[in-house]
Amino acid sequence: MLLQCRNVTYRYPQGDALVFNDLNCRLADPGFHGLFGPSGVGKSTLARIIAGEINGFAGEIKRRDRAGILYSCNTERLPGWSSVGDHLTKVTPAAHLPLLQELIRAFDLGSCIDSRFSQLSLGQKNRANLTRYLLQDFDLLIMDESLANVDEAIRKQIIVTIKKMFPDKYFLYISHSVAEVATFCARILMLRDIHKSPQLIEVAGRDHHGDTAMDKAALERTMLEIVHAA
Amino acid sequence: MLHKRISQFLIIYFLGLGLLLAIKYCFGLSDYVIPGFTDIKNTAAAVAAGYLRAVLDTLGVAVIGHLLAIALATVVAIVGRPDNLLGTMIKTAAYNLQAYPIVAVAPIIFILLGDGLPSRLLIAAIICYFPLLLSFIGILGEPVASIEHFYVMTGRMRWQLEVKIRAFENMHKLITVVTGSATLAMVGTIVAEFIGADSGIGYSLRIALYQSDMAKVLVALFLIGVFNSLYLVALELLGLVIQKRMGVEQRIQQ
Repeated sequence: MLLQCRNVTYRYPQGDALVFNDLNCRLADPGFHGLFGPSGVGKSTLARIIAGEINGFAGEIKRRDRAGILYSCNTERLPGWSSVGDHLTKVTPAAHLPLLQELIRAFDLGSCIDSRFSQLSLGQKNRANLTRYLLQDFDLLIMDESLANVDEAIRKQIIVTIKKMFPDKYFLYISHSVAEVATFCARILMLRDIHKSPQLIEVAGRDHHGDTAMDKAALERTMLEIVHAA
Repeated sequence: MLHKRISQFLIIYFLGLGLLLAIKYCFGLSDYVIPGFTDIKNTAAAVAAGYLRAVLDTLGVAVIGHLLAIALATVVAIVGRPDNLLGTMIKTAAYNLQAYPIVAVAPIIFILLGDGLPSRLLIAAIICYFPLLLSFIGILGEPVASIEHFYVMTGRMRWQLEVKIRAFENMHKLITVVTGSATLAMVGTIVAEFIGADSGIGYSLRIALYQSDMAKVLVALFLIGVFNSLYLVALELLGLVIQKRMGVEQRIQQ
């Protein structure tokens, strides 16, 4: 098991209200998992607690290796003093350089590799940012709306590519698209309002790999299950 | 840029001169109090060469003092950047010291170091140092989370990289602060020369004051204004070159 959260209780340093109350969750198997829930329910906060960016919570978080957990989000920027290509090359461990070329192709970044980050579109920015995280040594990569502003077709292609290229890694994908998490995620951690108990429940996703036709009826059932759970 | 700076100065200078002459003629003041335009012109012809050398002398000291202040402020801001005990102490000291009119310690410096170059240099440096330090601490102490996050997450963050990110992201502010403090360096040098030095345009101003010769004062002010404008333009051009080389310009244009 990579990660287990037990009885996590947390309130923001400035606020009195609880964000999480006795929250439990775990990531037992590798794969592409989702963290889903309404806006403001604390998805990013939970992700940052898991990544070790936020402390001061009660309860326990067991991690196999804290250094192996990375958290990426869509507000990040690459430094502006070099091109996207130069930056990616510089932050890629030597052993992963061949992977860099594969990801550039798969994520359709070839056309903007010589540009500065500020010259990219929002979608390209998010793809470039995600690429550099995928090139690191990690066990779990938390993708907090990392594919926001990316075209739907490319987004699907990227998720399928990630699943193919990193079958042994853990991913926790935060998205507001029910259809997307229902389609691609193996397990979906449904984070609910603080007043609901339990605050977090697990729903099985369709874990689609893009190589077979999707069972639409099964997908609809999963989506309904997610919506009802929320 | 040069044209703009010089024009701005000339407009202000001649508006001020016009106001003085208007006061002179409105109240019928004698040439001894406010000299006429011809007197000013004749005085300019007589003292221009000497005053030019004095202004260049002052400018040289101001530039060196300014560079010293920039270097020192950069080092102290880097050291005082983190939120640890040392950083907190440095910030507190800087905020408290800058509240004191530092020019008031100039006589102590003259008593200790004499009326030569070191005193002028030190006073020029300390007068522009604290505003620079406060700005530098503010800029280098403020995390750029959107860029730094990746390096922190992946264990790559080093202090040099942190400083580079913050300086790059705030290059416009840094250049504005450095350019703004250039005038303070010039002010510091002139004040030092005025108080106790034996050379420079501040010293010439002191002599003109003792002689109650406003024409000389006006000529000195003209030269100070022109050369200060030139120094500011040089700094702004240098800032543009740095920004262009680092790619800041492309970022701003987007």
